[in-house]
Amino acid sequence: MAAKMAGFTIEARAIRKTYGKKQVLSDVSFMAGSGQCVSILGGNGSGKSTLFSILAGVRRADGGSFFYGETELLRHPARIQNVLGYVPQADPLMEELSAWDNLRMWHDKKTLKKELAEGSLALLGIEGFLRTPVRKLSGGMRKRLSIACAVAARPAVLILDEPSAALDLACKENIIRYLTAYKAAGGIVLLSTHDVQDLTICDACYLLKEGCLRPYVYDGDFHKLAEAL
Amino acid sequence: MKRRAAYFLAEWKRILRLLPLQLGISLVVCACVGIPAAALVARSAGEGQDRYRIGVVGDISDSYLGFGFAALQTMDDSRLMIELVEMSEDEAAAALSRGELTAVVQVPEGFVDSIVYGENDIRVTYAVSSGQTQLSATVMGEIADVASTLVTASQSAIYGMQRTLYEQGSADRVGPETDRLNLMLINAVLSRGGFGEVEVLGYVDGLSLEAYYFCRIILLLLLLAGLTGGIFFLGRKSALAGMLNAGGVGALSQIAGEYLAYLGFLCAGFLLPAGLLTFLLERGTILLPEWEGMGADPFFALLSFLVITLVMFAAFQLFLFELADGIVNGILLQLICGVGMGYLAGYFYPSAFFPGRLRFVGGLLPAGAAARFVDCGFLMGNWRGEAAVVLAWTAAFLLLAAAVRQSRILRG
Repeated sequence: MAAKMAGFTIEARAIRKTYGKKQVLSDVSFMAGSGQCVSILGGNGSGKSTLFSILAGVRRADGGSFFYGETELLRHPARIQNVLGYVPQADPLMEELSAWDNLRMWHDKKTLKKELAEGSLALLGIEGFLRTPVRKLSGGMRKRLSIACAVAARPAVLILDEPSAALDLACKENIIRYLTAYKAAGGIVLLSTHDVQDLTICDACYLLKEGCLRPYVYDGDFHKLAEAL
Repeated sequence: MKRRAAYFLAEWKRILRLLPLQLGISLVVCACVGIPAAALVARSAGEGQDRYRIGVVGDISDSYLGFGFAALQTMDDSRLMIELVEMSEDEAAAALSRGELTAVVQVPEGFVDSIVYGENDIRVTYAVSSGQTQLSATVMGEIADVASTLVTASQSAIYGMQRTLYEQGSADRVGPETDRLNLMLINAVLSRGGFGEVEVLGYVDGLSLEAYYFCRIILLLLLLAGLTGGIFFLGRKSALAGMLNAGGVGALSQIAGEYLAYLGFLCAGFLLPAGLLTFLLERGTILLPEWEGMGADPFFALLSFLVITLVMFAAFQLFLFELADGIVNGILLQLICGVGMGYLAGYFYPSAFFPGRLRFVGGLLPAGAAARFVDCGFLMGNWRGEAAVVLAWTAAFLLLAAAVRQSRILRG
């Protein structure tokens, strides 16, 4: 589960990103505290994945900063890997290898066995297919395995890019249960989603539209949300 | 560092899973490339003893002309042997177009009579296919000229002698004198090899033609190994590259990890053809003048040069797969670049056929550098300079691949 880092906050300040002439992110800022889940909502191509990949250190921002407590992470990418786990939209798994071999790429053997034994990864329900090659796994299994890979370093922040896309209800439930437990352990969850079911675990929502991020209060009215997007 | 090592290890685990498939593909490629290649080398080795198959069309009913052709066909001890096949004009045209004949000699109707009566206005036609227009056309043309001159002149002499003896009332001498002149004709035909000799030295870039093709076919196999090695790049995900980058395994480390595994993968795939070549060399099926009587021992020495060449080709192939978007595009790119570069570097024809400038360009390319390096290995020459070029190309391809990967990660 998340590293014991209760009391810390993350804060994105004025993050900017331009592709050619298109301003994808324009002074994006938000905050989240320990034990919180923040969702970023937005239409397709609104820049959610770009924002998350910048926060995860995959892409570079044109400007802005991202603080974990007092530590600025964008200028010190090496620190990101100790603080942050990132689950991209597409699964980052090696098809020919078993689930176990994929996990071993991110976890050392001792820690992995401990995590599986203590049950922190058990919540993801991956024990049943640890020896199965990834190419034989379903979409839901792959997503849970991807999350298990991302939390190897017991990060304080977990970023998930559309974690429940194209998953069946049981899988979604499984992931939501895991994220709830992650929050309860003091972790911060950032997720982008198109699924209102995911919003049930969120403490704050933001709407990303035309490069600008603004807070949004989801009151259960799906049509209103769809119009806002 | 730990994660980097874990990624390297994961790539090696991948190749262990893919190895059976790679060996299977390698077997098929060996069969597809090896059989024609062995035939080419064997053909090249036996070129000196090849019989030129010439179709004879037209009026050869005359006994003297028939005798002349029979002498050409059966009593020739020269190195360039000729097989004459009598056939109809249509059959000859079809066989020539199929490449079953080297040439066709057409004897027009009334040819013999024209000679007998001293008119000599009807000529034998010698036709060759377009594939034989250069060296063989010249050689065959000369042979045909010599043969037809011999046959024509001898026959004219025999007919003349017979007519004179009949006119002088010495009919009893016709038989013995005809036999004597026929013997002279046969002796002339038998010794025509002494008129001149065509000798093909067969050396290209310091190697015998057989050795040249032997090296180039292996190099082509290594250069195009990316076609079968493509399975290594199946299912690669930019998401993994991004996540690894975020996890501290940068583009250069990723490429290094993949490259080492891919190189191991190609080396494993090369084991089968190398084993096959060793067997064929040991058995004497492949005969190279430079290695005559040495079995496969020199090939073992050459193997280290081939592996170093594979080090460069693996980097080249990795770069192309990195550059291409998707496995199909990657394989197409391998094919186009591999065949194009191989052609310019003389992998298909001896490089001496190309103009100087083209040879220079071909030599600058990685395939050209590889060829020079392997030639040095074959001839036990000074290989250090060529090895440096090969390794420089390797480093350049790896750096380029890493730059492409970095840009891919940043683009997401």
